[in-house]
Amino acid sequence: MNELEMLVEALGIQLEKERRSAVLAAFQPMAQEIAKLRSLDLTDVHPAVVFSPVPASQQG
Amino acid sequence: MHENPITRPIAELSADLRLGKLTSIDLLENALDRIAMLDRKLESFVCLAEDARAQAAAADREIAQGRWRGPLHGVPVAVKDNYLTADMPSRAGTDAPGVHFARQDSAVVAKLREAGAIIVGKTRMHEFAWGNVTPPSKNPWDLSRVPGGSSGGSGAVVAARIVPVAMGSDTGGSIRIPAALCGTVGLKPTFGRVSRAGIVPHSWSLDHAGPLSYTVADSVYALNAISGHDPKDPGSARTDVPDFTAALGQPITDLRVGICRNHMFGNNQPDVDAAIEAAIRFYRDVGAQLVEFELPILAFSLGAIFAIELSSSTAYHSRNLASGAVTGFTNDVRTLVEMGRLVTGPDYLKAEQLRRVLIDDLAKVFADVDVILGPTCPLTAWPIGEWTVRVGAQDESVLAASWRLTYPWNLAGLPAISLPCGFDSTGLPIGLQLASRPFDEMTLIRAADAYERGHGWKDMHPKL
Repeated sequence: MNELEMLVEALGIQLEKERRSAVLAAFQPMAQEIAKLRSLDLTDVHPAVVFSPVPASQQG
Repeated sequence: MHENPITRPIAELSADLRLGKLTSIDLLENALDRIAMLDRKLESFVCLAEDARAQAAAADREIAQGRWRGPLHGVPVAVKDNYLTADMPSRAGTDAPGVHFARQDSAVVAKLREAGAIIVGKTRMHEFAWGNVTPPSKNPWDLSRVPGGSSGGSGAVVAARIVPVAMGSDTGGSIRIPAALCGTVGLKPTFGRVSRAGIVPHSWSLDHAGPLSYTVADSVYALNAISGHDPKDPGSARTDVPDFTAALGQPITDLRVGICRNHMFGNNQPDVDAAIEAAIRFYRDVGAQLVEFELPILAFSLGAIFAIELSSSTAYHSRNLASGAVTGFTNDVRTLVEMGRLVTGPDYLKAEQLRRVLIDDLAKVFADVDVILGPTCPLTAWPIGEWTVRVGAQDESVLAASWRLTYPWNLAGLPAISLPCGFDSTGLPIGLQLASRPFDEMTLIRAADAYERGHGWKDMHPKL
């Protein structure tokens, strides 16, 4: 079982066997790009999305 | 009267409508005739407004009474199928049972109606805006080729000169890619400039609304009508809205044009590169300053947009996952929605961290440049059903290649426009892409309009 298959198991994602294979195969190239992102050290960078305590109706 | 008045740009139509030389009813009938004649081939409208003639008659009455609302008054426009409409059903490109949308006008549709536009119908889109093929729509320049997507229907109906403006939405390039592939203008405004309220979401922090049009000016008239703060869209910005027409017809001798030599070049079809290099020479020859630079962070950006788009889409569709409605989606879209569950929380936040770096790096670039120029799409319209194409020195997935040059401007939220800049050796259109600082659509429009005026591409139409 590879890392992605283990993730599917750990997250309890319900997928029929055939669907699971198709989804994991399609995700493979995207996972490679996300792996590159993981390799970046962005420790001191605040994410672009910033939390606001103001109610949605008062934002914007 | 012009044989096909609807094929003319808005400035001309509007002048004639205002002077009574043309009626909105006549214009609408011309659009409907062209739909009847051409859309059998293009398959790009999914719905026509039953009340379109009543809308046009009302516009004619108002104009005759001297109550002219502006350049869009009486002009037929179309909207993508993910814009909610009170008078037409919305499907967001899906046929899945159990998925329903409200019958009410989205903010943009309401603003277009307020500006007097005639909403003639809704255009086909790739299901839930999750793709860039838009089946079964066809490209008007070659019916065996895709129009791009996800706003492919809007691209096709504008390219076929059926309506001068069709609205699109853009999460990773979905306005600009069909604009480039179909040879139209496509404008993605700054994130927050135009309300997305009432547009079926795909990825909240990446989605933008904007027009596809015959000319830069036509997009500008639409942008004037639809811009402005909307409390119903949490991403909407409280920013002044200038009169964007003031950027038309302006000189560009003081313009500083940036060229990002990594990521945007080096892996495009040769005809695309040649057309863009010719565009660079145009700016140089009219006196603009060229500034070359590199953005190394872009090497990591594809993973970031995957993480944000996949997780956002899956979050939006969680109800459809739980209900089993996803089983009614097309296979490719269902797969994307299902796989978003594999993106982890840290991946998502890391993507948002990368976005901050990209935005800050671009701010440094924009200290020395006013616009950034490059191709919209590394390739021209590919054959329907083909999933791999030769790009540069390698075979590449068309889906991966087609949005490579557009998605960075969604990650950064910057305004970007695609406009025609030539044709490849087989006669397919090529798109030039310009981007500018946040909320500086004025400079973007000035640069794009000057290029358009310096060339004849906007007057070249497909023979259908």
